[in-house]
Amino acid sequence: MVITNGVKLPEFSELTVDECELSTATLMSAAPYVGKHCEAVNNEFMLCRYENKDPRPCVEIGKKVTACTMQLFKHIKDNCKLEFNQYANCIDKSSGNYTFHNCRKTQAVFDACMDEKLCMNRPAFGYFCRARIHHSPTSPPPPEPCPCAPKVPDPTPSLPDCKPRPPARFGNRLYWATE
Amino acid sequence: MSEACQIARKQDLPPPGGYKPIPFQRLPAKQYFSGYTMFAMYIGITAVSAYLYNINAKRIAKNEIEMRSAKMAIYPMLLAERDREYLKQLRRNRDAEAELMRDVPGWEVGTYYGERVYKLVPPDTLIEPIFHEYYAHSSPTEWFRRAYHKLRC
Repeated sequence: MVITNGVKLPEFSELTVDECELSTATLMSAAPYVGKHCEAVNNEFMLCRYENKDPRPCVEIGKKVTACTMQLFKHIKDNCKLEFNQYANCIDKSSGNYTFHNCRKTQAVFDACMDEKLCMNRPAFGYFCRARIHHSPTSPPPPEPCPCAPKVPDPTPSLPDCKPRPPARFGNRLYWATE
Repeated sequence: MSEACQIARKQDLPPPGGYKPIPFQRLPAKQYFSGYTMFAMYIGITAVSAYLYNINAKRIAKNEIEMRSAKMAIYPMLLAERDREYLKQLRRNRDAEAELMRDVPGWEVGTYYGERVYKLVPPDTLIEPIFHEYYAHSSPTEWFRRAYHKLRC
């Protein structure tokens, strides 16, 4: 109801890309490598998203994010497919919520394969939970001009300065003493 | 006559050897632990179990950090996918509303008979619709399912 014809929505053709159709177990098992490989473009996308508070300006970067993830999975499929499949299978079946602590052996095998074939090391423990600094090539959005004009005229302006302002008669702390 | 027939009658006599003495002294309950012992046991068990709990809590905290780290790493990709689908659905909703209110005189899509709902923002601002509006043109099954997932997870 609130989306008028004046609101510019992207067309269907702009929003149709090769989607990354993978299960959560697959994504969770490759998550540290995805985060490391696509760190720059992910950070840029999140920056765009939070600065604009709007999904529309960030559609192009979103496509790059998906493309980056797809590219990494293609590399994994070309090089480390069996090890990755075994690890993802373990993550999927060992617990109810994709926890990692039951799959350390398959994780070691997968990490060794990634290190050897793709020269990618797993990031440090808790790397994505820490605050990271991102140097963005784009500039921040322009701030609101200062002093900002009020959006509605003040319907109840305060007393004009020329009128006398006597002290309150009954509103003091010394309620037993008036005037 | 009464002395001649002295039959042995059964009488309620005391037991042979007499009654045992009646205990009338106070018998307080047997105390297994004294008060200080109880305090010491409480503190000792609390200390040992706190130590054991802390070992496990550290392990669980590490697992949680790892899980959160993995989720944060894949979050942008999932958000981008969700945004695309969201914008597609907004366009479908707008088209469905235009189709539905095609013959209603005075109705413009996204307004109340021509009057804008949000008046102070620029016309191009995207005000995200509420849950029921987003699912207004879909079957109730869809929004039941979404509400279930959103509230449960």
